[in-house]
Amino acid sequence: MLKRLTILFCIFILISGCAKQKRSGDMTRGEKAGAEDVDEAGIRHGDWHSTPELKSIHFSFDKSDLLPEAREVLQKNAEYLKSNTDINVMVEGHCDERGTIEYNLGLGQRRASAVREYYGKLGVSLSRIGTISYGEEKPLDTGHTEESWYKNRRAETKIRNIKPPMEAEEGTVNTEKDKDNPGQKKYSP
Amino acid sequence: MRYSILLLFFIFFTQNAFAADVYLSLSAHGQRMDLGIGGFVPGTEMVEESRLGRLIQDILRNDLLFSRYFNIIEGGPLYTGKDEELLEWQNQGVDILICGSVEIKDNKLILTGKLLDIASKKAIWDKSFKGDIEDYRYLAHDLNDEIIFRFTGEKGIAHSKIVFSNNRTGNKELYIVDYDGYNVRQITNNKSINLLPKWSPDGTEIIFTTYEFGNPDLYSISPYGTELYPLSKEQGLNTAGSFSPNGKVIALTISRGKMPNIHLINRDGKFLRQLTFGRGIATSPYFAPNGKEIVFIYDLPGYPQVYIMNLEGGNLRRLTTRSFCDSPAWSPRGDKIVFTMRQEGYGYELFLYDLNNKELKRLTQSKGNDENPSFSPDGRFVVFSSTRSGKSELYMIAIDGSGIRKVGEIKGSSFTPSWSP
Repeated sequence: MLKRLTILFCIFILISGCAKQKRSGDMTRGEKAGAEDVDEAGIRHGDWHSTPELKSIHFSFDKSDLLPEAREVLQKNAEYLKSNTDINVMVEGHCDERGTIEYNLGLGQRRASAVREYYGKLGVSLSRIGTISYGEEKPLDTGHTEESWYKNRRAETKIRNIKPPMEAEEGTVNTEKDKDNPGQKKYSP
Repeated sequence: MRYSILLLFFIFFTQNAFAADVYLSLSAHGQRMDLGIGGFVPGTEMVEESRLGRLIQDILRNDLLFSRYFNIIEGGPLYTGKDEELLEWQNQGVDILICGSVEIKDNKLILTGKLLDIASKKAIWDKSFKGDIEDYRYLAHDLNDEIIFRFTGEKGIAHSKIVFSNNRTGNKELYIVDYDGYNVRQITNNKSINLLPKWSPDGTEIIFTTYEFGNPDLYSISPYGTELYPLSKEQGLNTAGSFSPNGKVIALTISRGKMPNIHLINRDGKFLRQLTFGRGIATSPYFAPNGKEIVFIYDLPGYPQVYIMNLEGGNLRRLTTRSFCDSPAWSPRGDKIVFTMRQEGYGYELFLYDLNNKELKRLTQSKGNDENPSFSPDGRFVVFSSTRSGKSELYMIAIDGSGIRKVGEIKGSSFTPSWSP
């Protein structure tokens, strides 16, 4: 237990150390503070799309465990992802309307992370996979029945083509992300 | 400021013992006083002044009624300074009459309000408010807030506003509405998802979560929809942000590829520290008014419950014992926590936890879901979203459970309100 805590503490120090480095300096407010310390693939792109080969999975109410039938679907998805190495992957976590808004954002994140981890176990490179939670914000079915709720408690796997290695060498995922993600943007009142 | 208040009390006590009595009768005994509204005399006999006078009287009446401090009596004559007018008010049982004048001068509106002690025929207080003519609603609200201050020692809340998320355009954008349901205006327009806005304690900033840049990031925006800037853009959740009472620190949920946990950042976005290290979900942090503790939602037992911790993540204790809870808010006086809890057969209802006697009291009961409560600046009311009418709309309720009312007729569905300081 003590050992574990010590390791956790060291990791925390390391992370906070890195974080500090990144955030200090002449950075304008939060402009660059980002997800570099995550080994997840960046997700700030506009061209994520579904493909018929990759199926959604569903969850039990308030749960992020992968059901047996979900695992079967994810195994097939993983085969596709492993044989198509020129794509990156984004897993979206969604919830039904019965939870609360803040908690569902957390639950959707747990669902997306559970799927990402499982893909990793099945041999898909984790650095290719990012996650996002939409909580209850993007229901597939706006009804208020058990059936609608079941449809909405889901994780979707979306993909985007990554550039051929020649171009990708210089422009890493991070610079692409910055380009897609202007730090400042004014709204008109 | 402190000196001026002391000075005012000094004047009250020496010049007019009655004014001091009024103050005491409201705060010490809690009984409602009979307050007459004698109207506002047009300063230069302009038709426009009479019209504005009547509008201001309507707004003021609604503000005073909403405050629940007074019995409002109307129907007496417009008080223009004649004794027989006062006599009529006296016959209706009025002790104190609100009167004054409305004047348009150099294209500005000047509203003068007076509190008249009918027995002595003397003004015990008066004050003038000046502003643009189209801002007459705000002048009336300011007059109300000053009157409430004179009687209770605490400023009224009629100047306050609600920021919330609304889907009328097909996307959840942020809007602000006056506390009485007037003047709805849109402050974001990015056609993305904008959620969970919270005011800064000084009222100059609103922090919220937006998906505009492809990830749920925490951004800040001014109440006028300008000065958008990022506060936390970690990959994953940057949600449920909430200011410390001194406005220097923000607590929020960050996941960063791991489990959603509570973190602290500075107002400028600089990372401070992680507070919870749970393997489930920790979210919805809200600071105590003394700034020393945070109430939040933690699913340690396997379902989301209300917990309190200090700013180092220590002294963790659980307040609730059952069901699904979320969105706790700490009252400005520090003695209560309001939150939403799932009730079998009723959906989510609001509950008040009293930190002094550890009692849990139900605040709302409806067939719909009552969620995301936020206290009024004086802590006597709560605004929340409810689906009781079929769609999600904003409602206000006094914390004794009385006087529920809808916040205006707002198009679309409205969510996650936050009451301004």
